[in-house]
Amino acid sequence: MALVGNIRDFGLSDFLYLVDRGYKTGGLHLTHEQETALLFFEKGKLVLASRKPEDEKADLLVRLGLIEQAQLDKARQALTSSSNGATLMQVIIDQQIADQEQLQTGLMTHTEESVYGLFGWPEGEFRFEQNQRPDADSPTMPVPVSVENLIMEGVRRIDEWGRIKDRIPSTDMIVKFIDQPGEKAKGVKLAPEEWRIFARINGKDSLAEIAQKTSLSDFDVCRIVYGFLTAGLVDVMKKPRPMAGSRGAQGAEPPRVKKSLVNRIINRIRGM
Amino acid sequence: MQTVKMVISGAVNAGKTEFIKAISEIEVVSTERRATDDTKMIKKETTVAMDFGRIAIADDLVLHLFGTPGQKRFDFMWEILSEGMLGLVILVDSTRPETFRETNRIIDFFVSYRDTSYVIAANKQDRPNAWSPDELRLALRQPPHVKVLPCVASERDSVKNILLELLYVIQEKSED
Repeated sequence: MALVGNIRDFGLSDFLYLVDRGYKTGGLHLTHEQETALLFFEKGKLVLASRKPEDEKADLLVRLGLIEQAQLDKARQALTSSSNGATLMQVIIDQQIADQEQLQTGLMTHTEESVYGLFGWPEGEFRFEQNQRPDADSPTMPVPVSVENLIMEGVRRIDEWGRIKDRIPSTDMIVKFIDQPGEKAKGVKLAPEEWRIFARINGKDSLAEIAQKTSLSDFDVCRIVYGFLTAGLVDVMKKPRPMAGSRGAQGAEPPRVKKSLVNRIINRIRGM
Repeated sequence: MQTVKMVISGAVNAGKTEFIKAISEIEVVSTERRATDDTKMIKKETTVAMDFGRIAIADDLVLHLFGTPGQKRFDFMWEILSEGMLGLVILVDSTRPETFRETNRIIDFFVSYRDTSYVIAANKQDRPNAWSPDELRLALRQPPHVKVLPCVASERDSVKNILLELLYVIQEKSED
């Protein structure tokens, strides 16, 4: 079953987070005006990104200068004669037609450029076809890449409060690391300004206090923390209110109820 | 006579009215008054949509179900409704990702400052392209301990299941 929507309402960063945390496999089809893009994921990691249909074929490897045409032809021939369900990239690597590391680096650069541009789309329809995989002839990356860096880069391009405020409604909120930030942060590359904020996170200071200590604007701090949040590195929470405020819902604690009362309701609903 | 209250909330068209209608023993009281164009120009606050249902538990105990107005401008009503509530069902239209942000705002309103017992009902699971409960959990950034349950609000058994799951959450927090 496909997941459909518009990135205006459910951002690309949010979708990448879902794919990552849900270990999703499938193809994400994006359309914005006359442009299209296709991203393939394998168990939450990105294996291919293309902005043009011709980039979904292994000829891309020749265009990027990663292999010669003759090498590609040889690999395709080997693929045709193989019957073990291997992909072209597996044949290229297994038969040492090209160096895996060079292929990875070259394709990674191409992939990043393809994906980063998508974050500039203000809106666009998306459709995620679960379990759709690239053709055997596709230039997939030898090692699937984690999407956390892509998410961070995408968030760096956000320049509007609206989306940030969905997750960070106030600068009074405090930031804390999630359980194992060291492990999660391993693959994420941070810019110097981001490190300044990262180093200030202590689970006690509010965003406003972090802004004050780093001399960065509230917006910059919120934008950067939003990035950490979207990449799953940190969590934000509200400071407990010292007294019941003007908003009634936040003031009173829910009543303690008796188990016997709950059991009576459960029995009644079961019997309906 | 003791009354207890559960609140059914969610974005516009999440299925709140249908949910309450499916389980209520009385004809659901829906307060929906459409403003005339003239009234809208003068005072926007004249349209409010709320639902009220009731289940008699015993002679001395009644469960009231309140559906909150979905529109953002009525969030003052959410405060009033949430006072003293036993638990909360957050309904999500699983086919409309454009409502997920609003759903998050509603969850945040009800649960961020207090220990509210709640479950999320992933409604319209019978429709094509419905996001699964697991996908909704990720989309709404809900932690693993929060129940995100499949739901078809027009089906009584499905609604019963949601209420029971919520009651099990409340049961765990209740005192002997």
